[in-house]
Amino acid sequence: MLNGLAIGSVYAIFALGYTLIFSVLRIINFTHGAIFTLGAYAAYALTGSPLGINGLLAGLTLPFRLPFVLALVGGSIVAAVCGVIVERLAFRPLRARGADPLLSLVSSLGVAVALVNITQYLFGAEPYSYPDPLASLPSAVNFGTAGQPVLVRTVQVVIFAVSMVMLALLTYLMNATRTGKALRAVAEDTTTSSLLGIDTDRLILLTFIISGFLGGVTGTLIGLSVGIAGPYFGIAFGLKGLAVIVLGGLGDIPGAVVGGLIIGLAEAFVPAQHIAYREAVPFALLFIVLLVRPQGLLGRAQVQKV
Amino acid sequence: MATFLATYDFLLVSMVLAAVLALTLYLPLMAGQLSVASPGFYALGGYIAAILSTKVFHPGPGLYPIQLVLVEMVAAAVVSGILGLVVGLPALRLRGIFLALATIAFVQILGVVALNLQVTGGAIGIFGIPQPFSNQLSYMWVALPLLLLSMLFVARLERSRTGRALVALREDELAAAAMGVSPTYYKVLAFTTSAVLAGMVGAVSAHFINTWNSRQGTFDTSVNLMAFVLVGGSRTFVGPVVGGLVLTALPEALRGIADVGGLPGWLAQFLRDGRLIIFGVLIALGTVFFPQGLITPGLLRHLGRRRRVPHS
Repeated sequence: MLNGLAIGSVYAIFALGYTLIFSVLRIINFTHGAIFTLGAYAAYALTGSPLGINGLLAGLTLPFRLPFVLALVGGSIVAAVCGVIVERLAFRPLRARGADPLLSLVSSLGVAVALVNITQYLFGAEPYSYPDPLASLPSAVNFGTAGQPVLVRTVQVVIFAVSMVMLALLTYLMNATRTGKALRAVAEDTTTSSLLGIDTDRLILLTFIISGFLGGVTGTLIGLSVGIAGPYFGIAFGLKGLAVIVLGGLGDIPGAVVGGLIIGLAEAFVPAQHIAYREAVPFALLFIVLLVRPQGLLGRAQVQKV
Repeated sequence: MATFLATYDFLLVSMVLAAVLALTLYLPLMAGQLSVASPGFYALGGYIAAILSTKVFHPGPGLYPIQLVLVEMVAAAVVSGILGLVVGLPALRLRGIFLALATIAFVQILGVVALNLQVTGGAIGIFGIPQPFSNQLSYMWVALPLLLLSMLFVARLERSRTGRALVALREDELAAAAMGVSPTYYKVLAFTTSAVLAGMVGAVSAHFINTWNSRQGTFDTSVNLMAFVLVGGSRTFVGPVVGGLVLTALPEALRGIADVGGLPGWLAQFLRDGRLIIFGVLIALGTVFFPQGLITPGLLRHLGRRRRVPHS
């Protein structure tokens, strides 16, 4: 079960960035998965490790080495910057035209595919793993007693802690700060908000920066936990992330965490003889949720205006 | 000419099959529904053909009889149609993004199931699927009529009452429903027809590619199909066909350019391997600059007018 929570918190942090953009812009940002990958690779490069043998940048090593935490932050900043560039290129023109959110989804899908393949082109498709950064900490934390140890890998505890901290920070931002109120206003109605003097463009930019940064953090942490399996692991996460945010309720920030934990637990509880079907669980849940309760567990039912 | 056909036989047939698959994305899109479920039915059709030809019909040595291929296509069509109905009826109550997500989930679930069942051969898949023809190009005898018939079907559909109903749904579903156009009936019709077509293409492709596994008909394929329709044209049936033909040939053309020589290494490598980068960029650019694709009804009317003028 602890395993389920660990996997779940991984999905949860990923979903936080996803759902933040949906909550403000009402679009699904597929590029989140690609930016998450980029952040992970950028952090890897910043730790001064050599790049693999397959990509264009084969054998390249940055001339400096950063300690892991700084590399994490640096990689996430790179991810945030990429998020901003993506917003400028792929989303803003569509928003200016008032295009259907479905069109934005397709556009973001195109950009995500392009980005992931560019990453593959640059870095190669082989797996990477970070040099051991948490060497100072014990490799596992004992949650049980000395007689019945329940060991959880430290990195998974870190991920869970980070997800809770992020959740708390985001909830505080959205509910208690002035910027949060402005963001919620933009989410409600972009045009009216701009009429009321809220700089919507700047706030949307801020949303993408936060989301990109979160994506980078998630990518690096997950890369630390399971290793980077290749550029496509971002797309796989992106697809599962869809299941998470729909389950929790599109646009609902605590919902993203709840959805992530539930799907993580569901995957962990698959009985052993059906273990091969574990990958299908999030998508089966997604399908069922869409049919039964599209607004997710914590979302509000969307009333269609005529 | 003969050497051209011989060298590019695989590519030419792939182009034609891709064009038909693009039409399967176009059909629900006519009703305004973005459904990326076609790769799932494509995979299903392929598995049906593969299983039938390797395990049920026990072929002797020599060429596999073409009638059995047609039987498999019918079987694939029927099964895909039934599954399309079963999945479509509940799923098509969803609108917009939610339907797209549901179809994505459907394709993923099918992929995992295909990866794990014994009858589908698990991760290895099914190989050694018998061939009805002695060379690749002869598949055109099946592929080209399939394309032409589907094009004819969709063209007639566009002009028929059903077609107008679909377009009405795309323009404004609530208004159409108020006018007596049953949204569920027409959306499910489009979805099921698309499923049947995708299943048939899958059945042919299984024989064409000779092996079939869970890597055929995945989310990647959906991305390709979206590129075909978005770039080719989403408002007329000619668009996806052209998109499918051109975008399947494009990577080969680029590879040819890369092989000419004289290009810097990174550019040549990009042209060879950058197919998905190019498709992704095309999708993004397409939605921003050409939301209706390159072949639009306006363009077709314009071309039609220019041809008719000298006769007046």
